[in-house]
Amino acid sequence: MTRLACFYVPMFVLAARLRSEPDLLHEAVGIVEGNGSNAHIVAATRRARKKGIQPGLSLAQARTLLPKLIARGRDAECERTAQEALLEVAETFSPRVEDAGEGVVFLDVTGMERHFSDFGSGESGVGSRSDEENLDSPLSDPRHPTPDTHHSELRLARAALRACDAISLPARVGIAASKLAARVAAELPKSPTVVAAGEEATFLAPLPLTRLSPELEAAAMLQRFGLASIGDLAKLPESEIASRLGEVGRELHWAARGIDPRPLMPRPLPPEFREGMELEWPLVALEPFLFIANAALDRLSKRMEIQGFACKRLEFTLTLDPEGYDARGIDLPAPTRDVKTMLTLMRLDLEKTPPGAPVVGFSFVAHPDRPRRAQLSLFGPSAVSPEKLATTIAKLVSILGDGRVGMPTTVDGHLPERYAINVFSPPPPPDMKRTPARARGLLAVRTFRPPIPIEVTTREAEGDDMQIASIRSLANEISDPRPPTPNSRSRIEAGAKVEIGGTVRICSGPWRIEEGWWSDRPDIREYWDVELERGGVYRVFRGGAKWFVDARYEM
Amino acid sequence: MAVLARRLDTQFQLLEAPPILKPAITPRIVESGAGEAIRNLRATLEASIASKLTSGSELVRAVARHRRDEILPTTIPPLDALLGGGLARGKMTEIAGRGTRFSIVIATLAAATSIGEAAALIDASDSFDPQLAEAAGIDLRRLLWVRPHTMKETVTAAEMTGATGFQLVIIDLGAHRPPGRRVPDAAWVRLARVAESHGATILVSAPYALTGTTSEAMILAHAPRPRWLGRANAPRVLAGVETRLKLEKHRHLRPGQTTTVFFQCEEAISGSRESGVGSRSTEAVFSDTRLPTTDTRKAS
Repeated sequence: MTRLACFYVPMFVLAARLRSEPDLLHEAVGIVEGNGSNAHIVAATRRARKKGIQPGLSLAQARTLLPKLIARGRDAECERTAQEALLEVAETFSPRVEDAGEGVVFLDVTGMERHFSDFGSGESGVGSRSDEENLDSPLSDPRHPTPDTHHSELRLARAALRACDAISLPARVGIAASKLAARVAAELPKSPTVVAAGEEATFLAPLPLTRLSPELEAAAMLQRFGLASIGDLAKLPESEIASRLGEVGRELHWAARGIDPRPLMPRPLPPEFREGMELEWPLVALEPFLFIANAALDRLSKRMEIQGFACKRLEFTLTLDPEGYDARGIDLPAPTRDVKTMLTLMRLDLEKTPPGAPVVGFSFVAHPDRPRRAQLSLFGPSAVSPEKLATTIAKLVSILGDGRVGMPTTVDGHLPERYAINVFSPPPPPDMKRTPARARGLLAVRTFRPPIPIEVTTREAEGDDMQIASIRSLANEISDPRPPTPNSRSRIEAGAKVEIGGTVRICSGPWRIEEGWWSDRPDIREYWDVELERGGVYRVFRGGAKWFVDARYEM
Repeated sequence: MAVLARRLDTQFQLLEAPPILKPAITPRIVESGAGEAIRNLRATLEASIASKLTSGSELVRAVARHRRDEILPTTIPPLDALLGGGLARGKMTEIAGRGTRFSIVIATLAAATSIGEAAALIDASDSFDPQLAEAAGIDLRRLLWVRPHTMKETVTAAEMTGATGFQLVIIDLGAHRPPGRRVPDAAWVRLARVAESHGATILVSAPYALTGTTSEAMILAHAPRPRWLGRANAPRVLAGVETRLKLEKHRHLRPGQTTTVFFQCEEAISGSRESGVGSRSTEAVFSDTRLPTTDTRKAS
């Protein structure tokens, strides 16, 4: 037997707004729709309702009743993100979730009550009838024995209520065998409400006809017929209703009997998490924006945590005043949910490239990925914390610039200076301690970036190869001074201009390298190793007619 | 201002301390299911076994202490012998002077990354060659390459990477100090503290001594001598460079010991060369300086 649950958020437009501005909860706030003289109240907080502010009043009428009323317009971004958050909570209970919009979500909980069964029922203080909340409901009346499934579904519903409270949405929960009955049960003031299987008609009978909305467009007509409750409608013959009201009437009659043939239409999982907000007035300073952004990122992080995701890429769009958008993206070195890390990266990006105009709204989109687990190791090397690593690399990039920090990689090619810088993302360390690999003992070279142009004199040698007789640096800037001796330390300052040049004592080469032979302009070079009389061993190459020194063998 | 969405009593909790929640009912202490048999078993455990039992937190602390006492070998046998096994973890070691400092840096990076540790190279002279590094055995996936412009950026980057959790951080200043103001000595003290508090191994390679008393050990490299294969007018190939290393300072060893290391060129390793240098083992190459080559320079 199918069991469906309905999450229903009363006054959803108000709840979505208060989720973004929780400090307004105890204020007299009215949500307004429309502009100018058409502005009217669609929802109001309890404090405002006590003063007579009801949905349907114009804004002017509302202000007459309560001059200090705080009016807020409907925020589409807030409502969309609140609906997304509600869907994500539902998805933690069941993978089959239907988005009915406006704070209503259906989910298939068939068999889910087994996860909430109470094995300790019967012991003191656990699962006893004294814990039942709906003591007035006939379904939980102690005079009518209920199966264990009912208890389990109640626990499931209470867990759902707690989960909705955790994301700052005051929801109600109803469980029944059809979407219609589940929704009607969720809309009841007392929550949660569980309708036993096969009891839908009995449950609906005493309720007023208005509970069948939005299906009940003909409610007014039925009331003129003298029908007051759903049970009254259900008692009438179906053919009579259908002959007067047509197909709509037939559907209404089925609904009155608790028959809802509509199946659950589950939605696919969203590929991204979104949070956003429209601001009441433009923000020109960075700190107030980051203050609000911190709260939004915190909500985003909690939503990702519910589903076991972390943020791999954060995209944020700023709505500018008077018009325009500023869209940016931050790639994180490792998936993270740390709000501080994301806020730091956002701050660095905004400081580096300010939007250039006041900000009147924002939208964050987090592209999810499974978080990288950094497990403490007892026997092997410990892993670097991915979140610390992301923040450190971002700070280093902001200090040193792009392309100065990263993982070096070789590029497929023959020329020795080719390399690339990629995002540093180390693999996990081994589980057990290893012995270090034996060193190959290779002599290192210090590369000059860019290569230094030189002037070369050559001499003839045996065979066809020539030999280099002397070299002279053509560069004006510092090339490579000899390391200072203890007596000359004071003369060798940072940035001193010393040339590479002199008579060559030993010359070794050439080694020829050719790359891109298939292209119109292949790169053909000849390399020599030269030792100078004054000291130093350098790597010299000729490309075309020009000579360069591109490395020094360390000495 | 409505956009300031935080309430003072939640943001500044010192203004009003939250109430201390007390349970309405004092919970009854319940035995964890251990019956009389378990209690008797515990009582019969020998004192020697019971004394070796330790809690989980104690075990983690002991492992961390053990890690700090370990040595990171550079896998250059003469150098490791000079340092008493290798670079001390959680300490700063300095190599200064002329000679094959950068080759020692590359070998140390290869040793650390080969055992799965994350390493950072603060390359102040921007002279690192990834192709050669890969050939030398460095696992480039575990290497963070940082290229600062000034001395201040160099020290800052080293501090940040050490505090992040990198097991090995190497500062290479090249053949001369980077441009910018000289950093105060306190910067090296701070760096040494970062190494100690995070268990990082820091190696400073500089043209002259910089760290002073803050380093655990200091090695002076001097008298570099290139070795060439071939003689007179015969084709020459650079075999490698030989350097003398002297232990100038060590907290636990007697200074003054010297050794010699020889780093060879990759081309000279090939077995097709006439001198047959290529097939020698690493230890033989490092320790044997009597190569059939032309020594073109006198010891300086």
